[in-house]
Amino acid sequence: MTDSVVRVDQLWKSFGEVSAVEDLSFSVERGQVCGLLGPNGAGKTTSLRVLMGLERPSRGTAALFGTEVRPGSRELLRVGAMVEQAAFVPHLSGMLNLRLWWEAHGGHIRDADLDTALGIADLGTAIDRKVRTYSQGMKQRLGFARLLLARPELLVLDEPTNGLDPGEIRDIRELIGRLTAEGATVLLSSHHLSEVEQTCSHLVVMNHGRLITSGTVSSLVGTAGSVYVEVDDRERARAVLDALAIVGKIASQGDGLVVDLRDGRRSDVAAALFGAGLRVETIAPTQQLEDAFLELLEMQPGGAGPAGSLPRAEQETP
Amino acid sequence: MIALLRTEMTKAVRRTRTYVIALGLVALPVVIVFALNARGDRGPGRGGGGGEGLFRLADQSGLLVPAAVLSIMSGFLLVIIAATFAGDTVAGDAGWGNLRYLLMRPVPRGRLLIAKATVAGVLIWASTLLVGLAALIGGVIVFGSHPVVVPTALGAGVTGFQLSTSTLLLRVLIGAAYVAFGFTALLALGTFFSTITDSAAGAIGATVGVYIVSEILDAITEIGQIRYGFPTHYQSVWETMITQNKFSSEMVVGIVVQLAYLVVFGTAALVWFRRKDIRS
Ligand SMILES: Nc1ncnc2c1ncn2[C@@H]1O[C@H](COP(=O)(O)OP(=O)(O)O)[C@@H](O)[C@H]1O
Ligand SMILES: [Mg+2]
Repeated sequence: MTDSVVRVDQLWKSFGEVSAVEDLSFSVERGQVCGLLGPNGAGKTTSLRVLMGLERPSRGTAALFGTEVRPGSRELLRVGAMVEQAAFVPHLSGMLNLRLWWEAHGGHIRDADLDTALGIADLGTAIDRKVRTYSQGMKQRLGFARLLLARPELLVLDEPTNGLDPGEIRDIRELIGRLTAEGATVLLSSHHLSEVEQTCSHLVVMNHGRLITSGTVSSLVGTAGSVYVEVDDRERARAVLDALAIVGKIASQGDGLVVDLRDGRRSDVAAALFGAGLRVETIAPTQQLEDAFLELLEMQPGGAGPAGSLPRAEQETP
Repeated sequence: MIALLRTEMTKAVRRTRTYVIALGLVALPVVIVFALNARGDRGPGRGGGGGEGLFRLADQSGLLVPAAVLSIMSGFLLVIIAATFAGDTVAGDAGWGNLRYLLMRPVPRGRLLIAKATVAGVLIWASTLLVGLAALIGGVIVFGSHPVVVPTALGAGVTGFQLSTSTLLLRVLIGAAYVAFGFTALLALGTFFSTITDSAAGAIGATVGVYIVSEILDAITEIGQIRYGFPTHYQSVWETMITQNKFSSEMVVGIVVQLAYLVVFGTAALVWFRRKDIRS
């Protein structure tokens, strides 16, 4: 039996009276892109801190690559993580930050995957400027560069688009898309369904520190839901999608199409459209998928109430 | 460990603040030398205890200037500077949010803490020696490097003892080393504070606060023998090497007290930092 990349087992973490994580169990297998979904205060960051050996569990365990995580575990070398926002030494340049972070553990920066990292950060000459002068989006990209230095087998990303403006959010999402397309195993936390739904194959949904449900995206929603697409040539897209086994009913809506899925993922639709040479302007979950998650959260014991609800996807949903 | 020392040193040194401190540490003794030189009432100074007595003697020989400057600065300015380096160790990174990223690599926390404290210690020593060196160079240029006749406290300028240039130089060097070593307790205390807060300013302030309280209480003799355990109590006992021509045995006690603080607060810092939940 091969070990799970991530295995969280009956994890509890409390801060005095406050219980941040209660009896959380889930695992991420190699090659999966797993979303950790839950509203603010659900316990996502706390769980990821325990996973990275930053906090000790009150009870239970978190394991990476089959080994229980402790502060400074060797397994951390195989993980690239960003917990909450990326942060750096402000009075040093981006480049020197990368170098010192890498070299603190011994070795030389030339052993790191610096070319990939700098390509990802895409900071141009700003890489030699003090980090103090960076926007949060630039810091976030530099954060991706840092976590890629070690050619990680697992990426742990905690709400990587939090606090960014729309342009920066787009950049970061594209970047995550590229990394997952290359086959990385990813654990991505978010309080936006749209964010995880776009990229993830699996979901772990939590609220109030507890697991609500977990599984593949399509199994969680029962039906795979429907997607809204906008393309340059609507009629050809209709023909392409009609030929797909996973597609059910197709309806026009505004400038686009609402496509019911019997099975499969939104990315399958996207792939088919790209494959046919169509230009895709928009591809997004329709409201049904959002509603399914809101129901999941509201069905849980104790009830979530408005504060515990997932925010609806913003501009993407037609 | 060497890698950690190197990276932490780079972080601490490549910082405008460090340069400003270094500049100040050079400029202040120079200003003092000018002020002494401009002073009208030349004449045989009177040795007394403390920095003031040393200052009165200082224009006899430039070699006394570093002793006088260190005596004055070790009470306050160097305390603040040392506390800045010590309080910044862990809380600096925590405040930037960078600590969690440092610790996401398999870097043992204890080793990181020791590397950070060592860097702070090196900077504290460098600051003390820099101030002494600037005072020495400035003093010798302006007042020369003559031997000194130190009047004893009772005989008004008549009796006294002479300290040769080389003796004086050696004693000033020992004094500077003693002053620097005298910040060991502060280093341990500041590092400890630095592990329990995420605010560097808070850790620095707490450290300076403890020192000020220690100095104030130390001045109240009625408090009794507890004062002998204060980190500042033996701070200036080195001065008798120059003012009274004797090596005080209290220097040894002072060193022991410093080491005791190092053991107690160093251990506390290590224990706390290794157990700590890292949130920043
Ligand atoms: N250091 C702490 N002290 C007290 N409560 C905390 C601490 N860290 C997190 N919490 C609480 O734990 C819960 C989960 O927080 P967090 O893991 O940050 O959630 P999320 O990342 O999902 O928004 C929240 O109620 C939060 O207030
Ligand atoms: Mg969070």
